[in-house]
Amino acid sequence: MPETPTTADRALRIGICGPVGTGKSSLIAMLCGELASTLRLAVITNDIYTDEDARYLRSAGVLEPERIRAVETGACPHTAIRDDITANLLAVDQLEEDFAPLDIVMVESGGDNLTATFSPALVDTQIFIIDVAGGGDVARKGGPGITRADLLIVNKTDLAPYVGVDPVLMVADASEVRDGRPVIALSRGDRASVTALTDWVQTQLVAHRSGILVPADPGPMAPHSHDDGTLHVHHEGDDAHQHAHS
Amino acid sequence: MTPTLPADLVLMLLADARLPTAGHTQSAGLEPAVTHGLQSAEVADYIALRLRTVTRVEAATAVVALHHVRQGLPLDDVETAWAARTPSAALRATSRSMARAMLRVVRRLWPDDPSVRALAPGVSRAVVLAAVADACGLAPVALARLVGYDDVQTVASAALKLLPLDPADVSAWVLDALPLVDRLALEVAPLTLPGSIPASGAPQIEAWAESHAATTRRLFSA
Ligand SMILES: Nc1nc2c(ncn2[C@@H]2O[C@H](COP(=O)(O)OP(=O)(O)OP(=O)(O)O)[C@@H](O)[C@H]2O)c(=O)[nH]1
Ligand SMILES: [Mg+2]
Repeated sequence: MPETPTTADRALRIGICGPVGTGKSSLIAMLCGELASTLRLAVITNDIYTDEDARYLRSAGVLEPERIRAVETGACPHTAIRDDITANLLAVDQLEEDFAPLDIVMVESGGDNLTATFSPALVDTQIFIIDVAGGGDVARKGGPGITRADLLIVNKTDLAPYVGVDPVLMVADASEVRDGRPVIALSRGDRASVTALTDWVQTQLVAHRSGILVPADPGPMAPHSHDDGTLHVHHEGDDAHQHAHS
Repeated sequence: MTPTLPADLVLMLLADARLPTAGHTQSAGLEPAVTHGLQSAEVADYIALRLRTVTRVEAATAVVALHHVRQGLPLDDVETAWAARTPSAALRATSRSMARAMLRVVRRLWPDDPSVRALAPGVSRAVVLAAVADACGLAPVALARLVGYDDVQTVASAALKLLPLDPADVSAWVLDALPLVDRLALEVAPLTLPGSIPASGAPQIEAWAESHAATTRRLFSA
């Protein structure tokens, strides 16, 4: 059997998750456009009942079409990134084998709801995307992706005036529930926000390569697990309990 | 071998859809069947048809592979016999990708088992299941029941996603199919020779599998 390379030797796996239509595919296309000249990239899409996202990305012409693959989820987009990640893992492994060496593999989840997040066994770091068009109160509603994804994107800020949302307030609300984790207010037309996003990706890549990037689990609706066996006191409640060892 | 575990507990583990083997990506050919006009009222017949045809090939292959594993015989002839009886390239590819999915969890569950360790990349699902059956000390008939039962439940759960059905009715169809699963298992359990694996394909299911592999609109991988 071949030796499994250490995590730092393989590509950085970035998960991109969030409700339907918030801009996951567009963000991936943007990152490909920004990074493909300097980094070796590949993409997995989890479409619900077509390979629409994969085709959109292929047609965007930002990456060789063979480097973009669709995984079927049997109408279970949540399962495919969380409780049975097998199909995605096999697809990532296959991409890495076919195009070795790769620097980054991006995995787009099927558009789901606010509770869906990636298993830390599938991705090393994850981005959760909401948009201003979904309403200014979405950030306050919270959920594991909004509160604990490695990066939260508040997308389409250019639309804010048309939907009566104050993006500054939306970002402030999000930052408040995120305990200092980063939030980027993004619009594809806003160059500074795009640079903030690519800088974040580069930082994650450096951390991954130096072996210090530990996949964090945004977790289910319940508070997250550090999975290191330490006592973990929840902010939300007053109970403390021992998290299970893996 | 972990013979200390009761066979029924092992079977529950292996037949449980919660085992992470990408089972949710499979419809056992039901999705293309529905695309080509199969109706809710025909799902039970579809289940029975599979048990007589393609699933029979898979169950027999698994049993013969288990015999080969236990006798220390090479598996190549079994693999070839299965491939010769599975003319659709799409069905063969599906079996091999399900085998990879299964292998991932099986290697984690029985890392030291020699039969599991000996599995070559690219084997079919029936052969992986045979190695697992050996690792757990399952009898051939139990292995064949597992293959049959898994196929029935795969169709049943996909049916709930694809057709307007009451889940309780679908469970009743599964119950009705159990005697068919048992009969299939008893029939194939004594087989030991690759040449004795029945060539009971279903050309229509195979043709649908081929067309499904080429479509761009699908919920299930196969
Ligand atoms: N105005 C504006 N529209 C955007 C921006 N980013 C994406 N969009 C648009 O938002 C719509 C949805 O974008 P997608 O990238 O397809 O969203 P998605 O999250 O991948 O959607 P699903 O995969 O269907 O869940 C498209 O019409 C995009 O053009 C942005 O920065 N500003
Ligand atoms: Mg998309």
